[in-house]
Amino acid sequence: MPATVYTHRWLLASFLRRELGTRYAGSVSGAAWALLNPLALLALYAFVFTMVFRVRLPVDSGGASYTAFAAVALWPWIMFSEGVVRGMGCIQDNGGLIRKVAFPHALLVYAAVLSSFAVHLVGYVAVLAVLAALGEPVHLFRLPLVLAYLVPLALAAVGVAAALAALQTLLKDVEQVVSIGLTVVFYCTPILYPLSFVPESLRSWAAINPLASVVERLREVLLQGAGLLPADLWLWLAALVVWWAGLRFFERLSPHFEDFL
Amino acid sequence: MRLPAARPPSPAADVLVALQGVGKDYPKVTAGGDRLRTLWGLLARRADIPHFRALQGIDLRIRRGESLGLVGENGAGKSTLLKIIAGVVKPSAGTVQVRGRIGALLELGSGFHPEYTGRENIFLAAALMGLSRRETMERVGDIVSFADIGAHIDEPIKHYSSGMAVRLGFAVATALTPEILITDEVLAVGDESFQKKCIRWLERFLGDGGTLLLCSHSMYHVQTLCSRALWLHAGAARLEGDSFDVTREYLAFHEEKGRAGAQAPRPAQGLTPFVRDMRLERADGTPAEAVAAGEELVVQGLAWSPDGRPPALLFGIVRADGTPVYGAHSHDRGFVATGAGEGHFAFAIRFPGLMLLPGKYLVRLHVLDPEGLRLFDTQERGISVTGRTRDYGLVQLAHEWTEGSLRPSGPQAS
Repeated sequence: MPATVYTHRWLLASFLRRELGTRYAGSVSGAAWALLNPLALLALYAFVFTMVFRVRLPVDSGGASYTAFAAVALWPWIMFSEGVVRGMGCIQDNGGLIRKVAFPHALLVYAAVLSSFAVHLVGYVAVLAVLAALGEPVHLFRLPLVLAYLVPLALAAVGVAAALAALQTLLKDVEQVVSIGLTVVFYCTPILYPLSFVPESLRSWAAINPLASVVERLREVLLQGAGLLPADLWLWLAALVVWWAGLRFFERLSPHFEDFL
Repeated sequence: MRLPAARPPSPAADVLVALQGVGKDYPKVTAGGDRLRTLWGLLARRADIPHFRALQGIDLRIRRGESLGLVGENGAGKSTLLKIIAGVVKPSAGTVQVRGRIGALLELGSGFHPEYTGRENIFLAAALMGLSRRETMERVGDIVSFADIGAHIDEPIKHYSSGMAVRLGFAVATALTPEILITDEVLAVGDESFQKKCIRWLERFLGDGGTLLLCSHSMYHVQTLCSRALWLHAGAARLEGDSFDVTREYLAFHEEKGRAGAQAPRPAQGLTPFVRDMRLERADGTPAEAVAAGEELVVQGLAWSPDGRPPALLFGIVRADGTPVYGAHSHDRGFVATGAGEGHFAFAIRFPGLMLLPGKYLVRLHVLDPEGLRLFDTQERGISVTGRTRDYGLVQLAHEWTEGSLRPSGPQAS
């Protein structure tokens, strides 16, 4: 599968350019929305969780404010969820192309997911820089390590999006289920709250969620200046399995997409 | 039915496209339950999916340098077959082997993004055909000049007319110089001069050893560009062979279909003479849509005249392109049609041995007033004349080759 991507890299580049271009084409402030949207969300969550619910962060969170605490996890989540949603719809959206031109359909999924990650990675870096400038304990020099978590996250997003895209092409109901499913996953993942808030009895269940590990590890790296752990290999393994299985499922159904579009 | 191919077969190594027993079933998905069952069937690779058959049992071999025309009615499976060869559609049965780089133009502006300018779309379309960005850069100039759509090249595709989109699509396809070019009815959209340009390009492409698969409703294009043709009917191959033979049979088939509709006598109308009914028959009275050269043809006619006086009649035969072949007047032959009741007059014109050269012709009947001065109505029927001959012109004139009687008498030339 990586070989397909390599031989068609020009097409992937073209799809990516198109994804990035159409995303904000026709809107006034263009790419600024890529940053404004998550910022607005962050402001909302910060308000609700510090003013209304008065969440108190545990002592070991490195002295970061709630806003920094949530921001570190929120952007990766937005990359993932937006990548999945866009990747899921890409077969449907490009029906005209699929019905007329022969090309590896998975490239569309890659382009959709990668564009989401690319756009929000820029926003992520910008927000972290601003937080650091405001005196939050963000370890900016640890930023390159972030890729060790975002790459598997992107691979997993490709796998999930590919499987959902294939299903969505045949069963239109998938879209509805996924929007609920993503909300559930969002609140089950310690993004807006620390994992220590989860009751002891449920914590082992929450820890199974690889997304929870990604989020927790990102906080440790960025807010506490921790390094990589050997256990991170498990994240890579899980991501590769999801990626491989999702694409297998996709490739099984992809010759039939044309019949259903 | 299989007619002999026009060209001698080249070695098997040069077969670029080989289809064997290819069929395509499209799943029928209307109800939600069907979709679930279909999904399960696809995952479990089972065959009992509710479906309808778009194509079945297609065997096809295309060799390097060959050009194959695909003809057939709407819904006969032409586009499906082209898509299977282009790799867009996976066949449900049979094997497909394709060697060589394919350039496919399936439908208008395939792969164009409406929000993007023509120039930006060139890059996407070229990438879809496997060109790198640098390779595309080198060819953009050629593409833009071939498409020849002026300043529109920098406008979004959504503002293009369908003709302009096709021009751009064709220009991109030509820039790739594929080994096999597949075009689906794209010539029909461009204007006259662009069509000529495309046809010139295709002729040069074929001359340079390119391989063409053309789907068209224009028999003219099929005949001029293709050496072979395949007629698809209801998802199956009906006839394959020399493009002239196949297109002629196909046109004859349509003539017959048209006749089936036009067969009923026309209702009485107005107060002027008209042709009530017209049929072409063989000597034994069976309907004739195609006759062999030299066979007997009978034109049966029924005319109506308002005042009960027999109208004057005129028949004419023209070739399909309108070239007159022959015509004659009933007055000049002293023929008067016999009354058939209620102002009708029946008549027939018999051609004992119709020596028209093979091709498509129209037989016309004209009804004039009894004095033969004013023309009131015209009806026509098409007829295909079949046969193999190397004679030229429209008709075969009776002749024989004999020993000459001229001798070199008089002043000697040397």
